[in-house]
Amino acid sequence: MSGNRKSLLWLLGPPTLYLVALPFTNRLTPVLFGVPFSVLWLLFATLCTPLFGWLAARRDPLWTKHRRDRS
Amino acid sequence: MRTALSVGIVAVFLAATVVLGLLAARGRSRRGLAEWSVGGRSMGVALTWVLMAGETYTSFSYLGAAGWSYTHGISALYVVAYLAVGMAVSYVVAPMLWTYARTHDLVNVSDMVAHRFRAPWLGAVVAVLATVCMLPYIQLQITGLGVVVTSVSYGAIGLGLAYLIAFVVSEAFVLASGLRGSAWVSVLKDSLVVLTFGIVLVYVPVHFFGGFGGLLHKLTAQKAAWLTLPGPHTGVYGLGWFISTAVLNGVVYPIFPTQVAGFLGARGPQVLRRNAIILPFYQVLLFVPVLLGMAALFVVPNLGDSDLALFAMIRDALPAPVLGLVGAAGALSSIVPMAVFMLTIGTLWSRSVLGLHPRTAPRQRQLAQLVTLLAGALALGMTYVFPNVLVRLSVVSYEGIAQLLPIVLIALLWRRMSIAGAVAGLAVGLALVSIMVFGGHDPWHGVNAGLIALAANIAVTVAVSALRPANAPDDRLASLTEEPDHIEETALPQ
Repeated sequence: MSGNRKSLLWLLGPPTLYLVALPFTNRLTPVLFGVPFSVLWLLFATLCTPLFGWLAARRDPLWTKHRRDRS
Repeated sequence: MRTALSVGIVAVFLAATVVLGLLAARGRSRRGLAEWSVGGRSMGVALTWVLMAGETYTSFSYLGAAGWSYTHGISALYVVAYLAVGMAVSYVVAPMLWTYARTHDLVNVSDMVAHRFRAPWLGAVVAVLATVCMLPYIQLQITGLGVVVTSVSYGAIGLGLAYLIAFVVSEAFVLASGLRGSAWVSVLKDSLVVLTFGIVLVYVPVHFFGGFGGLLHKLTAQKAAWLTLPGPHTGVYGLGWFISTAVLNGVVYPIFPTQVAGFLGARGPQVLRRNAIILPFYQVLLFVPVLLGMAALFVVPNLGDSDLALFAMIRDALPAPVLGLVGAAGALSSIVPMAVFMLTIGTLWSRSVLGLHPRTAPRQRQLAQLVTLLAGALALGMTYVFPNVLVRLSVVSYEGIAQLLPIVLIALLWRRMSIAGAVAGLAVGLALVSIMVFGGHDPWHGVNAGLIALAANIAVTVAVSALRPANAPDDRLASLTEEPDHIEETALPQ
């Protein structure tokens, strides 16, 4: 047994940003840097997605086991 | 002169594609299905990354995304949303599928289903269903390449010839070098895509609008309806559709047979986890065609065929050599996914249908190559003769494949899931999705019909399996929490 993989809950981050938040972010204003908020939010979510992946992996026993094996 | 220049550049890149694909086969074993179908399960992070990017970045990205945003606005970004959800699910699911397939020497989803249920016939059923759902994708790539080549040749090359070119080029390298060849061609393709999107992203706003500020200001002032859901036309692509489609496509993404082929090509489970984390960066590029599609509203208004939005806008504005480069990127964006679709169909059939008999089993690689050729030829022939048949079928493709989720994935995690449950669920899911889609009820009350059918599918699978449970032995199940040590290094029996 490789221990628990609770850190995988971080993987709920992308669906939360893209989908759960969508009813609140589907709006034109505020316009920042000339970009409508709806587009800016989806861009923000896209840039955050790898970050959530990294947070999930960091404490994932299967990920760290492989890292240990390589070092 | 300008025609010769832009067509010449596309021709050079297509020739380079074939050469690169053929070179990829050098020094590799010419025997064994796994070497051809899944690259000998030996690809590292970089090659897996470009292959996955190559598969997700299809002619849809070049034509469809721009066309969609031209007509419906930012709902086109559902692609970015579902890929992000899909990557998150892949982090968990892809290593599990890889480990199961590697342990039992399996090469695709039909193979895995047959193994899990000890039922070769069920694998054959899955292979046939997946093929029917995937053929339209091959046609979409063929017609996509046709649009690109006709545009960049300023109409000199007709659609018919362009379709044939798509078929010949993709078959040439995929037959010789399989998944590994597709990955190497993806390296060329992704480099071109990044380069040309960079050029077009700067050129279009500056040339037509005096800069980004001009384009964005004009969009927010005059086309505000395109910038929020549901878009300029009432109804269909609203919040409910966006969310339900991203959920459905996202959870199905890791079991889509072409994705599974890509997963199984990786050297090990850690490669797949690493990819699931870094691949989403690539999706930033998808914002480019979506933005340009909306820019085209001002430059080429009232287009009959919205798929032409991007190329109609840039055709007369860009210098011929640059147009040639964009055309080459667009052409390769059709050819790589098309090759992987044909290869996947070939693999499904050779392992789960044609190669079942003891006399045909030793020739699975040749059978896979034969079916790869036939699948491409069938899609090409139908594009010429009955173009509308596959187009009609394509609307149900993804939602149809989605119905395989319980039988492929849930089955590996749930010991009590029985054949009766799996088949009953699949039948209900497929029937429901067909009725809703072909009956014009997709989306149904704003919700993706595929998701509704999948919910019914899972409910029936669970109910029937509860009534008639199975008791699968440990070696027919996969684990989400454990991985054998050093599985990459252990050799498989030949």
